[in-house]
Amino acid sequence: MLDLQAVSKHFGGVRAVDGVDLTVARGQILGLIGPNGSGKSTIVNLICGLFPLTSGRIVYNGADIADLPPHARVTMGIARTFQNIRLFGQLTVWQNLWVAQNSSEQRKQNFLKRWLGGSRSAREEIDRTLEFFDLAHKRDELAGNLAFGEQRRLEFARALSAKPALLLLDEPAAGMNAEEIDQLDGRIRRMRQDGITVLLIEHHVELVMSVADRIAVLNFGQKIAEGTPAAVQANPVVREAYLGTAAAA
Amino acid sequence: MDDYLIGVLSNIGVISFIALSAYLLLLTGEISFGQQAFFAIGAYAAGIATALWGWPLALALVWGAAIGGAAAVLVGIPTLRLHGLYFAIATLAFAEMVRILFELFRYQITIDGELVGPDGADGFRNIRYIFDNNIDAFQFLLLIYALLAVVLLGFVLLERSRLGVIFRMIGEDETLAGLQGVSIAHHKVLAAGISGALAGIGGGLYAHLTTYVEPRIFDVMLGVHSLAYGLIGGLGTALGPLLGVLIDIGVLESIRALSGYRMIIFGGLVALLLIVRPRGLLDENVVHKIGRFWRRISPWARRPGLNTGNRNNLTGGRP
Repeated sequence: MLDLQAVSKHFGGVRAVDGVDLTVARGQILGLIGPNGSGKSTIVNLICGLFPLTSGRIVYNGADIADLPPHARVTMGIARTFQNIRLFGQLTVWQNLWVAQNSSEQRKQNFLKRWLGGSRSAREEIDRTLEFFDLAHKRDELAGNLAFGEQRRLEFARALSAKPALLLLDEPAAGMNAEEIDQLDGRIRRMRQDGITVLLIEHHVELVMSVADRIAVLNFGQKIAEGTPAAVQANPVVREAYLGTAAAA
Repeated sequence: MDDYLIGVLSNIGVISFIALSAYLLLLTGEISFGQQAFFAIGAYAAGIATALWGWPLALALVWGAAIGGAAAVLVGIPTLRLHGLYFAIATLAFAEMVRILFELFRYQITIDGELVGPDGADGFRNIRYIFDNNIDAFQFLLLIYALLAVVLLGFVLLERSRLGVIFRMIGEDETLAGLQGVSIAHHKVLAAGISGALAGIGGGLYAHLTTYVEPRIFDVMLGVHSLAYGLIGGLGTALGPLLGVLIDIGVLESIRALSGYRMIIFGGLVALLLIVRPRGLLDENVVHKIGRFWRRISPWARRPGLNTGNRNNLTGGRP
């Protein structure tokens, strides 16, 4: 579904991402891990179009999308969440989800209804999403007034509102307690059941090992390993990247 | 109603258009120091249409709005790629350019043995439509406020529509708005066009209210004031900039005891509010609270929460 071919991003002399090949198969959850500064977030930013590539290709459903602006990629079904929560704090919870309904399918709704309050099915979709994320009682609250955990759920909900085919989750468990991580685990599994492909960037190793089908490991902008969770966990190169060499330790 | 009061209220009404024009751009996060240019363009265009071409007033106002909007779109396409300070400077430069062009602009024809039309820095006299058609000051006041009511109704609809929410999204976080599938460039140019048209209508009304315009009126202070109205009154609702106009023109300029201190009080007010209430008196939080209170006491308001009561049936239980 998504194919990164020899993708590089250099900021001046810094090679944030350096010749990475990465394939996300349809319906799969691919975990992307690596130490801080290894280029994980940069890859997400490249896929959703926040930075231009230095070199390489990003192929999505057979088409090279590397030159498309971010909003065009969203319409094609690529949505994301942020490592640091980014919401429209001055808009209500409901409005945050409403304006996110921008998939090409959703754009085909009756024009007037879409622009003046949303069609019935669109409104029901928002209500269902709010239920799913346990936010229904907050629907008319300003997003900026929500508690931290609620904001995280809202960000997740907003990403789903665009009916993505591919969801990029950038450290969704950051700052969550054990119970919330448990719920997150369930929601990610549930999304796979619904046919959404997920690229999961996460520091919380337990979560990644638990939900990911495959895991890729980055270090200094390069991919150093890829495989099933068990294989990656056993890989000595990965251990070295995280823990240092035996000599250094 | 006495003439003085009619004059003050007319002024408030006309200036409200340019305040709303600056407000709309503020919603999308852009600070324009150049809305006076579109106000000027609307004033000259509408004035020329009635005084020189003999058009009816309604058509002239639409014409002024159209020219103002078109000019704003043309300026917006290159400048809206700039952000913040750079956009502010670009709009300021454009507005000064327009003002100086009007100082050079001569277009006069002889009507009834009299030379009529813009005469460069000497201005554009005798925009006599409301005298020639026996419209008295009170009737013109009603016209101004009828148009203002239509514009406000438009804003109420806008705030409830997807477009209004998108404008606010872009104002709050442009990058994030793009990641919701919204084309930033299209929406910004659209906002610029609407705001140019609003300023254009205001300019057309102004020209016919005062019967005389000159380039000097449309200097940068007019732009700064129109910007300040939204920042004082609040960015949470279109009534915010109107409140700003009311405070400035209705209180500071029109009450004789205060008028000498107008700039001191007004400037101080801007500085103070930017510190304690950066998004104005009627900011989003206040408007939201009023809205919630209204929904609680009003029997007509739509009740929130269509689906409370059967929460778990919708998803078949949470995962």
